[in-house]
Amino acid sequence: MSRPKLGQSVRRSRWSHFTAQNVPSLLALLILIATLVFYAVLFSTSLGRLPGNFELTSTTNNAMPLVFSAVGQTIVFLSRGIDLSVGGMMDISNSLAATRMGGSPGSMVLWSIIILLVGAAGGLINGLLVALGRLQPILVTLATLSIFQGVAIKVLPQPGGKVPTGYTDFLTNPGHPWALIFIGLLVLFWLAFRRTAFGVAIYAVGNDEESARANGIRVVRTRVGAYVVGGMFAAAAGLFLAATTTSGDATAGDSYTLTSIAAAFLGGTTIFGGRGSALGSIAGALVLSILISVLFFAGINQLYEDFYQGLFLVLAVALSALVGYFLRRKK
Amino acid sequence: MTGADGTERSSPIIEAVGVSKSFGAVRALSEASFGAGAGEVHGLVGENGAGKSTLIKILSGVLRPDSGEIRVEGQRVELSSPQAAQALGIRTVFQELTLLPWMTVAENLLIRREPKGFGPLLRRREMSSRAEEMLASLGIENIDPLELVANLPLDQRQIVEIVRTVTREPKILFLDEPTSSLAMREVEWLFGLLNQMRGEGRCIVFTSHRWREVESVADRITIFRDGRHVETHAEIDEDHAVTLMTGRKVETMYPELPPADDEEVALEVRNLGGGSLSDISFSLHKGEILGVGGLEGQGQRDLFLALFGAGEKSEGDILIDGKPARIRNPNDAIRAKLGIALVPEDRKSEGLLLPMSVRDNLTLPVMKLFSAGGVIRSRREMRLVQQMVERLQIRLRGSEQAVATLSGGNQQKVLVGRWLLADSRILLLYDVTRGVDVATKHDIYELMLALISEGRSILFYSSDTEEVAHLSHRVLVMREGRINAELKGSEIDAESIVTAALREEDVPA
Amino acid sequence: MGKGFSRWEFLKGGGAALTGACALGLAGCGGGSSQGSGGGKKFRIALSNSYIGNQWRIEMVNEFKAALKMEPYKSQVEGSVYNSGNEVSKQSQQISNLISQRVDAILVDAASPTGLNGILEQAAAQNILVVSFDNTVTTTKALQVNTDQFKFGEKLASWLAGKLGGKGNVIMVTGVPGTYVDKQRNKGADSVWKKNPGIKVVNRFPGQWDSSVAQRNTASVLPSLPKIDGIWAQGGTDGVLKAFLAANRPLPPTAGEAENGFRKFMIGYQGHKVEGFSIGQPPFLSVVALELARQILRGDRPKKNVTIPFPSVTNKTVKKGVTVFPGVQDSFFDAFTDSGPNATVKMCLDAAKSGKPCGSSLKVSLPKA
Repeated sequence: MSRPKLGQSVRRSRWSHFTAQNVPSLLALLILIATLVFYAVLFSTSLGRLPGNFELTSTTNNAMPLVFSAVGQTIVFLSRGIDLSVGGMMDISNSLAATRMGGSPGSMVLWSIIILLVGAAGGLINGLLVALGRLQPILVTLATLSIFQGVAIKVLPQPGGKVPTGYTDFLTNPGHPWALIFIGLLVLFWLAFRRTAFGVAIYAVGNDEESARANGIRVVRTRVGAYVVGGMFAAAAGLFLAATTTSGDATAGDSYTLTSIAAAFLGGTTIFGGRGSALGSIAGALVLSILISVLFFAGINQLYEDFYQGLFLVLAVALSALVGYFLRRKK
Repeated sequence: MTGADGTERSSPIIEAVGVSKSFGAVRALSEASFGAGAGEVHGLVGENGAGKSTLIKILSGVLRPDSGEIRVEGQRVELSSPQAAQALGIRTVFQELTLLPWMTVAENLLIRREPKGFGPLLRRREMSSRAEEMLASLGIENIDPLELVANLPLDQRQIVEIVRTVTREPKILFLDEPTSSLAMREVEWLFGLLNQMRGEGRCIVFTSHRWREVESVADRITIFRDGRHVETHAEIDEDHAVTLMTGRKVETMYPELPPADDEEVALEVRNLGGGSLSDISFSLHKGEILGVGGLEGQGQRDLFLALFGAGEKSEGDILIDGKPARIRNPNDAIRAKLGIALVPEDRKSEGLLLPMSVRDNLTLPVMKLFSAGGVIRSRREMRLVQQMVERLQIRLRGSEQAVATLSGGNQQKVLVGRWLLADSRILLLYDVTRGVDVATKHDIYELMLALISEGRSILFYSSDTEEVAHLSHRVLVMREGRINAELKGSEIDAESIVTAALREEDVPA
Repeated sequence: MGKGFSRWEFLKGGGAALTGACALGLAGCGGGSSQGSGGGKKFRIALSNSYIGNQWRIEMVNEFKAALKMEPYKSQVEGSVYNSGNEVSKQSQQISNLISQRVDAILVDAASPTGLNGILEQAAAQNILVVSFDNTVTTTKALQVNTDQFKFGEKLASWLAGKLGGKGNVIMVTGVPGTYVDKQRNKGADSVWKKNPGIKVVNRFPGQWDSSVAQRNTASVLPSLPKIDGIWAQGGTDGVLKAFLAANRPLPPTAGEAENGFRKFMIGYQGHKVEGFSIGQPPFLSVVALELARQILRGDRPKKNVTIPFPSVTNKTVKKGVTVFPGVQDSFFDAFTDSGPNATVKMCLDAAKSGKPCGSSLKVSLPKA
């Protein structure tokens, strides 16, 4: 057989490909490390000691709801969607946990499962309206955000209720940074998820819906699935919120809609779908949480805190674009 | 022509009988019939809008016919979905690529057939070696399976698309314009592959606007016009084919080029460099078509982008009408003082706003011409648009028609028209006839001549070397980002361009 | 086309912004919020305020700052103020940083009644005194300093009932529906109406504790209403009166909140004078919380919740320059100071406006423990 061949080219190593294709996530990790170092320096100059067990524990616990909501948001982002109802779902989850959960392990497990299923159901509503109803995701989830908030108020009209101490000790133990284990599990989950047919399908749909369909991917099912998983993560985030606060408030989750989006952006996931990683978002969520303490110990006037957080976000995203640009140039 | 005579061929493996299809008021196919056999490479030719793509979509299960019958191996079948067609062994490479840009070549090649590992998990590490094997088995060694598709040039993307389809072992393979973005070597590679598949008894149907390609590889050629089957031949010469395709006789393929005798220099480039370019100097005269030739990917694209202010940061000087010009971005280039316009080959991503109307696309950069105090004077706008549509012979239903619904050649004319309205004096035409049908190509050639007769200048690149040879007063041949040779007058023909493109040593221009 | 270049341009701009930000950041670092001077062991007391976006909160924080510059706080307390953007997670993170700083007491005006419970319980577990005020928290590990919102509504209603001799048409301008405070105030009023069957509440609509909303809503219902003999308003009182003026209605006796605009009506405003009774949620709750924390830390007082009475004036007791300020904007909140012989605390205008001290010392009278 003397068919013509198409010539040899220089192959780059697997590592070099990995780096080039994961610039935003790796950058988020670097930013996380830099923020941690910065925090440690500010903390020790301000208090004359290094951060200890309490600081690690409280920072981790406080970051958990954001970490989970950011992972959920990322999955929806990857499918080229957006979920503004995250905050509302966290309200529902938080309110249910504070009002329904009993002190027995059985009740805690049962209600955790029920609440995650409620999250899935909320996500299913979003997904069906977006994928089958062909409505704009931003519109659908803005509407369901209000609806979920309303449901949460119905469940818990006045802030109150009580989350069993055992539950708090399990999810966000106030004495030890055991919540880090959940972050570890989340990383493992993601590495596995990325290697499932469903995970690949979400990326494919986010890349190009028509091409994904032409490749035999069930687009509607995949998009709905992304919202369902996103809803479950929002519900899980609400459980962590209930655990850290030890009580319920039907509005406490509201702010997470925007911060989860910010964390996903910071982690390098784009709203245009198909690109990004939950690992970056986890790093982004941790950065945003630690940033509050950095500004605290830097003695920044709190009136300007939001300003600095916004500036930080813009700079981080610009930095990511800049590094990507130079990498492409170098090639 | 290779292969046996079509008339003695065994019964077709795939057949369309009396198939009609309309989109609204437009009849894309009427009572069209078509058949292709196993072990055959079948060329399907016709002008844009002749119904080739519609036929292929129907036979691939993407579209459903309004009436008519489809038979596979003599059995009547309903192709209700692409999946139904695929189940019968039909696979298609469409004009619009279906690759996922931000995923790797390996992921694209193996999507939905990834190697399975533990439980629901896929073995990602194994994927790259599998993909490597797939590419190597087809003789492709210059595509890295771990590269993102978005980072590949257009031709390599097309190849990945072909590889993905071919490795699914189709019994019947359709390729819609597979060569339009391929370089010569790659076309040879593809035809080698098609020959091999013919030997394996598969049926291959492909469309192309490049006659010599069709002629060189097809066993039989079917000609479509206005949604109907015209004729099928095993042996047919180009002139006859063109006549059948267009329904009229095209006098000669290329118009006579009038001499360019104006010595006034419109554009001068001195020592242009940066990016893939180095030390490029030339001048472009008024009323001249200056061709740019060479093998594909030798920096021609970067040269055009640099002159339009859209390329990498560059060194060297650009002079317009003898005065140094700073072109930092396309806005600088478009400005009336410089009057440089670029018409690129990739109309979709580089210039046209597809969902917007022909009128909007024509007038977008020149709003100033007919607006007073920010308010558009629509009557004047309409008149200008009408003139342009007539002058360029843009075929359309009305000026409010969305550009997306025009054929490729007509989209190209809209882009040219836009720069005429902007009164651009230097036009950079980059491979504008790629994927354009014969009749429209002819229109574009005529238009080019009309433009230079008005004293405008054209820098002209085409992946069809024949075209460059016939339509240029002078030709710059590029190699590895430099000008390897300059050909003039009677020196110019396709062969001398290719020879100059392959020459190793530098010849001062 | 041209994407590459424009992105480059954008990033160049970004670089400049980065340099600018650093400069700004350094400037930001300069101003610490710690106050007080050296000498002896001082109690470190931090105020964690969830939100700084309205007049009331500004006056609350200013009064706290002013108090720190006066005795006994000047020599006994090292105070600091932290605001967060009304986000539970932010305030929670701030409080955990305060725990890291090992402050002696944390005073909290909370973003959520329950959202901070977890972290505040941890603070208490580390022997940090936690005092919540205004928007208090539900955990039993924190002390509460507040007013009685039921009494707010009740007192306004009783005054009005007395003024009208137990009969007449009254409108009720309520607060933000669904909030605890709104419900309590309305309940307090209703308990009075029940005892005065001659009083008829002819309309009840929300004013959202906002003068412009109250004015708009009043203007829209007024045309359909009969003669009004009295106004009961939780907030936005000056807006209600302005709507009456605009509709050419006589201004009836009014029981309302402590807006400077309302009190201007009580001393005569554009030729109109209103008989009125004005009470308000006192911004000096922060100072009361500070005093409570100081006393407990010194061991002078048991750890018990404190409820203070509302500062109030009538058109008879209101005094120019003390409880009403003609030169200050209508939206200013005059409940920043108490008045009369049993006043909880007497503050000057400068303290509420800009955090300046009113003399060298401050006397805060807490109710008997």
